[in-house]
Amino acid sequence: MTHYLQIWLASARYSVTRTLMFRFDFFLWATVELLWMSVNLLLISVIYEHTTSIAGWTKYEMLLLVGTSLLVQRFLMGFFWSSIFEMGRNIRSGHFDYFLAQPGNILFMASTRKIDLDGLANSLVAMGVVAYAAHKLGLHPSAWDLLAYALMIVCGLAIHYSMLVLSISLAFWITSAQGMEGIYFTLSEFSRLPREAFKGLASLAFVWLLPVVVVSNAPARTLLHGIEPRWILALVAAASLWLGAAIFVFNRGLKRYSSASS
Amino acid sequence: MFASLTKYRHAFLLGLQSNLVYRANFAVRGFFSLFHLTVVFILWGAAYAGSPSIGGFSFGQTLTYFLVMLVMQFFVGAFNEDYQISEEIRNGLINQFLLKPINYFLYRFSIFVAARLVTGVLILLPLLVAVPLLHDYLTLPHDLWRIALAVPAMALSAVIQFSIAYCFGMLTFWFLDIQGFVILSMAVESILGGQMFPLDLLPAGVFRVAQFLPFYYQTYFPVAILTGRIHDIAVVWQGLGIQLGWVLLLLGLNQILWTRGLRRHTAVGG
Repeated sequence: MTHYLQIWLASARYSVTRTLMFRFDFFLWATVELLWMSVNLLLISVIYEHTTSIAGWTKYEMLLLVGTSLLVQRFLMGFFWSSIFEMGRNIRSGHFDYFLAQPGNILFMASTRKIDLDGLANSLVAMGVVAYAAHKLGLHPSAWDLLAYALMIVCGLAIHYSMLVLSISLAFWITSAQGMEGIYFTLSEFSRLPREAFKGLASLAFVWLLPVVVVSNAPARTLLHGIEPRWILALVAAASLWLGAAIFVFNRGLKRYSSASS
Repeated sequence: MFASLTKYRHAFLLGLQSNLVYRANFAVRGFFSLFHLTVVFILWGAAYAGSPSIGGFSFGQTLTYFLVMLVMQFFVGAFNEDYQISEEIRNGLINQFLLKPINYFLYRFSIFVAARLVTGVLILLPLLVAVPLLHDYLTLPHDLWRIALAVPAMALSAVIQFSIAYCFGMLTFWFLDIQGFVILSMAVESILGGQMFPLDLLPAGVFRVAQFLPFYYQTYFPVAILTGRIHDIAVVWQGLGIQLGWVLLLLGLNQILWTRGLRRHTAVGG
């Protein structure tokens, strides 16, 4: 375990050095992410200019939900995105050999290689959005509520990570398919919607089959209504299940990986 | 005159073929679009549950707006033209155009038109699946003048879309990687181009400013004409004027960037 922590710290140190070398890139990408976050917040504020409730959620409740969803996504971007995105490219090009030769779990080595400080910087902004919404709603969460919220964010991160690994793992089977990460972005759009808005078939698909809605709704509800064990359990179960599935599919795919003749 | 047209006709045909070959990529994109439409349906459905009219429009009208917006993006939207141009500059593929009597802008534009014809027609196929499901919600005005004026607006939109992508492609002469700039502008375009919400829902002052920006004319303008979000024909004529102004301005900018960029360009090897 400490072995992996050391490897991760070495990657982190390398990423910080790289960011300091390419400062312009850091500012550019931090701005890009900030702008995309604003796009989502603007959408909410424009809709609430014309209505008072979306599926029973008020403006600031909705802001809290969107902020939470953005927070999970920023963590994914900061900790894993670059590495997993490159993984797909490497599988297609045959450069993935490099990771097979490394002393450690292949998925760990391949998915934690790079850390993006711009994503992490923006996670602070997302936290700010959540805190601002909580303030506007006059919420005073207890230490336990905050702990539960943090735990749920970690579970949510595990689910997002798994969905991204699953979509990128398709590259083992369909080497010609590009843009598979688009699956992840499309699904994450659903996580900015309140659970109550989903009815019938949509509820079955996006609440029960794919946990995209629970990922954001469960932590947001904890801040709004206090700890609800039902939601925590659902999220922990979904996180374990999806992480298990991602590891399984990745390993199955790995068996198919045949490198590439240059 | 005809000889030069033939050149670009070949580029156009080449574009048709290559886009038909890569139809799998298109299928993936079209599939994602249906998911996006589902999000729109759920979000706006929930918003309309609280009030029967938003910005003076019914749920059906808003849904129609997003559906037409989607089709419009496939018909006139620049998709990855900026990256393609950037690749050609970086790899030195543009060197061949410097030696031949071919205008690079027109060459790329011919391919762009071909690509949009293919994606525009293909997106109608998955829509055949979606339309029966959404049929009860869809509502389009039937005025003939709307179609008559939307066609030139669409054509000008396509030129604006392509010109902006071309500008970003030209940035490769100055920067190694343009991806950051492209995604940055995508965020601005998605808001001010009306992809996230109908622009007339913005506060009046902001909406007025948006009407003078090129993004408004990228997709929103033709969609607003077709879906009845612009009531007044005089406003359409005025919009066409501003749109034409942006087309000329962007074409000029393209030309400047190309000649300036080429001065910095070094063609190595063969």
